[in-house]
Amino acid sequence: MRKILAALLIGASALAGAGTAAAQTGPLRIEIDQGVIEPLPYAVPDFVPETPSAAEHAAQIARVVAADLSGTGLFREVPASAHISKVTGFDDPVKFADWKAVNAQALITGAVSVTGNRLTVQFRGYDVFAEKELESALQFSGTTGGWRRMAHKVADAIYSEITGESGYFDSRVVYVSESGPKNDRRKRLAIMDYDGANVQYLTNSASLVLAPRFSPTGDRVLYTSYESGFPQIHVLDVGQVQRKILSSGDGTMSFAPRFAPDGRTIVYSQTQGGNTDLFSMDISTGAKRRLTSAPSIETAPSFSPDGSHVVFESDRSGSQQLYVMPASGGEARRISFGQGRYGTPVWSPRGDMIAFTKQNKGRFHIGVMRTDGSEERLLTASFLDEGPTWAPNGRVIMFTRESQGSAGRALLYSVDVTGRNLKPVKTPDGGSDPAWSPLQK
Amino acid sequence: MTWVVFGAWFPSEPLPSNVQQVALISAEQFEKLSQQRQAPQVSPEPAPLLEPAAVQPVADPASQPDPAPEITQPEPVPPAEPDPQVTDRPDQPPEPELPAELPSATEEPDVSSLVPLVRPDSAPRPVDRVAPEPVAPPEPDTRIADVVQPEVAPDEGAETEQDVQDATAREAASDRIVTEENEGEDAAATAAPAVSRRPKARPARPQPEPQVAAAAQPTEPEQADTSDAVADALAEALAGGADVEAPEPSGPPLTLGEKDALRVEVSRCWNVGSLSTAALKTTVVVGVSLARDGKPDTGSIRMLSSTGGSASAAKQAYEAARRAIIRCGAKGFQLPPEKYAQWRDIEMTFNPERMRIK
Repeated sequence: MRKILAALLIGASALAGAGTAAAQTGPLRIEIDQGVIEPLPYAVPDFVPETPSAAEHAAQIARVVAADLSGTGLFREVPASAHISKVTGFDDPVKFADWKAVNAQALITGAVSVTGNRLTVQFRGYDVFAEKELESALQFSGTTGGWRRMAHKVADAIYSEITGESGYFDSRVVYVSESGPKNDRRKRLAIMDYDGANVQYLTNSASLVLAPRFSPTGDRVLYTSYESGFPQIHVLDVGQVQRKILSSGDGTMSFAPRFAPDGRTIVYSQTQGGNTDLFSMDISTGAKRRLTSAPSIETAPSFSPDGSHVVFESDRSGSQQLYVMPASGGEARRISFGQGRYGTPVWSPRGDMIAFTKQNKGRFHIGVMRTDGSEERLLTASFLDEGPTWAPNGRVIMFTRESQGSAGRALLYSVDVTGRNLKPVKTPDGGSDPAWSPLQK
Repeated sequence: MTWVVFGAWFPSEPLPSNVQQVALISAEQFEKLSQQRQAPQVSPEPAPLLEPAAVQPVADPASQPDPAPEITQPEPVPPAEPDPQVTDRPDQPPEPELPAELPSATEEPDVSSLVPLVRPDSAPRPVDRVAPEPVAPPEPDTRIADVVQPEVAPDEGAETEQDVQDATAREAASDRIVTEENEGEDAAATAAPAVSRRPKARPARPQPEPQVAAAAQPTEPEQADTSDAVADALAEALAGGADVEAPEPSGPPLTLGEKDALRVEVSRCWNVGSLSTAALKTTVVVGVSLARDGKPDTGSIRMLSSTGGSASAAKQAYEAARRAIIRCGAKGFQLPPEKYAQWRDIEMTFNPERMRIK
């Protein structure tokens, strides 16, 4: 009995000592404040065709998903030639070890079935190293003609799951298609998928068109046309390709229109008697309201996402700078103070930044700054960059880049908001004045 | 006498001598040679200039000058486009970043601070990877790996077999995001020493010995009264105490070097490139338990707390942190086995603040 009691006492004292030590030290604590920024490796094997006629679409959809993700610069595809596992069944268990061996940190599998004209896509995403399925498993159905949209939706879901922000792949871009030599340039409105696919022309090249802008729902486009000989604002229904003139009065020139977030009001520039000011107009009633009244040139207005403010460019200080004022007009506050000239400001869909064109020392730049003008960063530099437009998630900017010389062309480019991943956007001809739509429903 | 006796035993060989052949010349020839070395006679009056003789055409085609090039109008050269590599300097000169605390004049300046941080030719390059340390692009045939090793090819003349080994190198990386605008910027500026050497200060006079207070005298450590603890632990043990499996860190703690090595290991896999802006503003504290071989128990990885972002942003930040722990711990973190109790449970704080400004 004594021995048992002694053993218990020894064990208990050891426990007491351990408890005291644990209270003093606790777990090891370290802080990691340096990491790497590199594309995340992922694998997307061809989707599994579940019907004989789905084989072609199964491969095509996987390729579009890969192009979307890799095109962001945030992801890097592990090529199919490196795959160890072959995905032959959508519900087959995933051999995570095989995907870890090729350093694929994310895996996307999917299946496609075609019944008549009906296409169904289902997919799953996996965190390979955590050996768990992502929460983005979904299924889309549509017509076979809309397979690209379904691929974009798959990529949007995966992108959103991994990055934590919404995607932008299922979106469209309206722009001015440019063809012919520089001294005889033919311009017409065109609309395409964000990646340059499915180009459709909305106008002919009989008259000059400028600066198309999407409505907040993406179903209408505002643009400026010289059809009557002087600039007038038109609104075009994208689905039915019907248009009407938003008349702003005889003897006046109106241009640079942009929708308010409510979709019922537009803000634009109007030149009358040699002076250019900002106005707003109710689309349904045509009622106009003057927002600025200055002897200088005010133009290129853009609403904040909440519709409370407008950013615009003005030369009221002697040089072209950016200003922010309440959407109903009133005192404007200058936000750009760097050297050079600033123009074409566009408020980010997130509301936190403003993209702009800057001209300084003979070079053009696309840049971003906070809405108070702080933290200005220039993302590009070339002979002529201008006209930025934001992707629906505020992560990417598309703009026009024109090369020098008589053979110079205007092309569309995109760049990440960090300044990385600068690349051209493929279009059949040249392109300028892009405007990004919201995500499609 | 001794030589006479023993000299015959040591026959001397004639010393080797160099033989050189010479040519003999006559006195007349020597006279001529001597005259050539004398300075020429200079007449006080310059000689009259001779009329140039008519140059006769030379028939030898080999000695004729090259025919005059046929002059043609050059092709019109379009004005050169500005080199896209050359970017405008910032409008306003950047404020020099001064260290928060200048090194004390009494301290020996750190030699490493006088070494240029970046070589002048190592201008930022637009590469996919941004890492704490810039890495030059590897050779085209080099395999990307974490370890740098040279290529070993089989030597045909070698007697022993050699293991063939591919050349590997680390993936190219820059230490900040390089945009079209700032590409090549500040290459020269970064070559300058970060800190200038300061003159040594006068040596301080020796201070008088401080008087040791009586209270500072080492005293016998008080024996803690453990009777209550023993009684409590005994009661807990008898009651089937729940903390029997609690960690018991004991022994020497990890050194700063060992902690830094672990930090670097995790940092290399902490990829924040695909994180949203909101997640890049979120700091997460992640707890993990390690096995004795240094491998993380993936089931033990959990988010302990987060600051600075929404729940969604914290989730993304946590997922990136978890991937870092799992990936770089797959082969076991390099930690001293004898200190296992110290690193069995780790709390890692992932703070992306410095990554936002890359």
